[in-house]
Amino acid sequence: MDSNTRILADRLANIVGPRHVKTGASELLVYENDGLPGYHKRPRLFVAPGNREEAIAVVQALAAANAPWVARGAGTGLSGGSLADGVVMIGMQRMRRILAIDPEARSATVEPGVVNVSLTKAATPFGLHYAPDPSSQAACTIGGNVAENAGGPHCLKYGVTLNHVLAATVVLPDGELLELRTPDADAVGFDLLGAFVGSEGCFGLAVDITVRLTPNPERICTMLADFTTVDGAADAVSTIIAAGIVPAALELVDAGTIAAVEASIYAAGYPTDAAACLLVEVDGPAAGLDDDVAEITRHCTAAGARSVKTATDAAARAKLWQGRKKAFGAMGRVAPTLAVQDAVVPRTRLAPVLREVARIAEKHGIRVCNVFHAGDGNLHPNIPYNGHDSAEAARVHAACDEIMAACIAEGGSITGEHGVGLDKLPYMEDLFTPDSLDAMCRLRDAWDPARRANPGKVVPVHRCREWMATPAARS
Amino acid sequence: MTGTSSLAAPRSVAELADIVRDARAAVQRLRVVAGGTWSDAGTPASRIRADATPVSLRELRGVVAYVPGDLTLTVRAGTTLAELDAICAEHNQWCTLTPWGGNHGTVGATFATATNGPLARALGRPRDIALGLEFVDGLATTVRGGGRVVKNVAGFDLTRLLVGSFGALGVITEVTVRLRARPAVDRTWIVACEPGAAADIRRGAITPLAVEPLSAASAAALNAEVGALLVRFAGNAALVSAAERMLRALGSLTECEASAWSLVRETNAPVRSIEQDALALPLARRIKERFDPAAILNPGVLGESA
Repeated sequence: MDSNTRILADRLANIVGPRHVKTGASELLVYENDGLPGYHKRPRLFVAPGNREEAIAVVQALAAANAPWVARGAGTGLSGGSLADGVVMIGMQRMRRILAIDPEARSATVEPGVVNVSLTKAATPFGLHYAPDPSSQAACTIGGNVAENAGGPHCLKYGVTLNHVLAATVVLPDGELLELRTPDADAVGFDLLGAFVGSEGCFGLAVDITVRLTPNPERICTMLADFTTVDGAADAVSTIIAAGIVPAALELVDAGTIAAVEASIYAAGYPTDAAACLLVEVDGPAAGLDDDVAEITRHCTAAGARSVKTATDAAARAKLWQGRKKAFGAMGRVAPTLAVQDAVVPRTRLAPVLREVARIAEKHGIRVCNVFHAGDGNLHPNIPYNGHDSAEAARVHAACDEIMAACIAEGGSITGEHGVGLDKLPYMEDLFTPDSLDAMCRLRDAWDPARRANPGKVVPVHRCREWMATPAARS
Repeated sequence: MTGTSSLAAPRSVAELADIVRDARAAVQRLRVVAGGTWSDAGTPASRIRADATPVSLRELRGVVAYVPGDLTLTVRAGTTLAELDAICAEHNQWCTLTPWGGNHGTVGATFATATNGPLARALGRPRDIALGLEFVDGLATTVRGGGRVVKNVAGFDLTRLLVGSFGALGVITEVTVRLRARPAVDRTWIVACEPGAAADIRRGAITPLAVEPLSAASAAALNAEVGALLVRFAGNAALVSAAERMLRALGSLTECEASAWSLVRETNAPVRSIEQDALALPLARRIKERFDPAAILNPGVLGESA
């Protein structure tokens, strides 16, 4: 460790206590990875503030030392957003207090390290829950969710993280403190909170976050429709949405995923001879819910579903969901490494894109298991492979490039909820013009002129032109 | 520069970019007027320097892309909300912006001013409805943020940044909006009850599409008591019938046409203001400086004296 790092570590230890600063290679090993396979980046050092004041002081100390940094929640991110390559890592896991729940206002204020599902558990006695539900919700943090603008199955009806964040206290990379709040009926100025949510840790560090809590529905009904063709399932998705029904969730699992799930301890009773199954959930007031169920059943049957199973009691519903929520875990049995991909296409293009994904997989000799938020057109083509086999890893990489290109060609996006991070950086230039990428850089530079927060993520560095204030200098 | 110059009405985004480029070189201030309907409404509009050259977006109108099955639509900023409504209605869909003030304004102005309406609480505010947009910033560069799909986290969020920025960061030229299928049943009642019942209805088991106490003007037009509530429920028939039974317990009901909402929107002046929190003002100014370094776009919106 160089002497500057030693001095910085001592300074940070004075703020958070020596136990919460890690500098040794073996101590840092655990922070070299997040949920993105194939990357190992060792932080310069690791520091974990215990409360808001410490977090602010840490960022201010890093500003004084002009030391770049990356914030990390639970390390469940799937795009490499919290990887720290030789820069300081700020771990938020000690800041996990729920500061306030206001059942009347239906809101909660939390420290950023609060685990997503813990907030819902704490809100349960009030008949409320926190709606955005990433599949990693048992581990991921609200702070990480805000950084990535995380989604989840139930975001189809309830909206993504952006739609649920009401306010945040943010320390900017230069140490300035801001209270951001959502513009309400009376605008509060530029929507800085809207810009902050999903900024992938590049704009500053949230030290507390106020989110909306959602009333628990009076009744929930979960359906499983099984199809002999993927096209049939994809068609049913479009007709259900077009009919004006907004299901709470509308998920598609394909044969590859069903095989992995049904062979695992998470077996959910999905028919193993189906080409695809739709998991459809409707919730809300009891009145009228049965009619929605009947209409969805009709649409599925018309699109070729062999059967539509309906579950209303909690245990039966949990079993149907288990296969979906634990699909990634089940794929762990198939191969040691899992690439969890993320892309979006217009809903009506689901069927052709899924055919194209299958063609790409066959061409590269890899296996793709699709399990995704079909109602949003948000694909997750997951690829189980052996990361230690460099030839296979190269084939997986080539296939991912082609899958992204196919989604862009259909007018889609390279990420719906996982973020750009490091993984999607090369595709940004395929999706946005140089002028648009430069505008994103200018926005980042307004928040962080020194480019100290999460350097090298989201927008390729070479796309950031130097910003110059005088017109003459640019023309 | 001289006083108010004649209205510029570019016919393409490239022409608009040329106007901004020339204005920047000459430090000629521009005032974005979209359709011009709302140009004298609210604080920020009145703050914009009167000697700025008006730039109208009325020639930039019409649909760019609409696939009804995707429930998304890309439209040029100068399209009026009324035109947008007519296009969506052909496919039994709607854009739920429905801002206070009515349907005369343009798509661009509604997003630039983030104007809410009675459906905002149930179906989303402009920031929730915009999926992506295109704008020409103060450097005369044409920028796209977001995309045309309903879920997207690629890149920093220029869409949320521009929505509600009152034209101070760029001239919005195109917006992609999230649409909804028209509900099977959509009914509206005047409920004669305590105004305090509005909160109870909003928090009831069945979420209303809209609840609004009637102002003197709208009450007179609807032949109702001032302070009575205009309440709208939508969904399948069974759901809306249950909602009606619930309302009946609160007071006497008079059902009316959905057009009552147009009337209420027109008689309620839109709330449009931009008052940057003092604490966030330095950041807002840094953003302004990077998107409009010559301070030519709607100068005065951030309270700066140009």
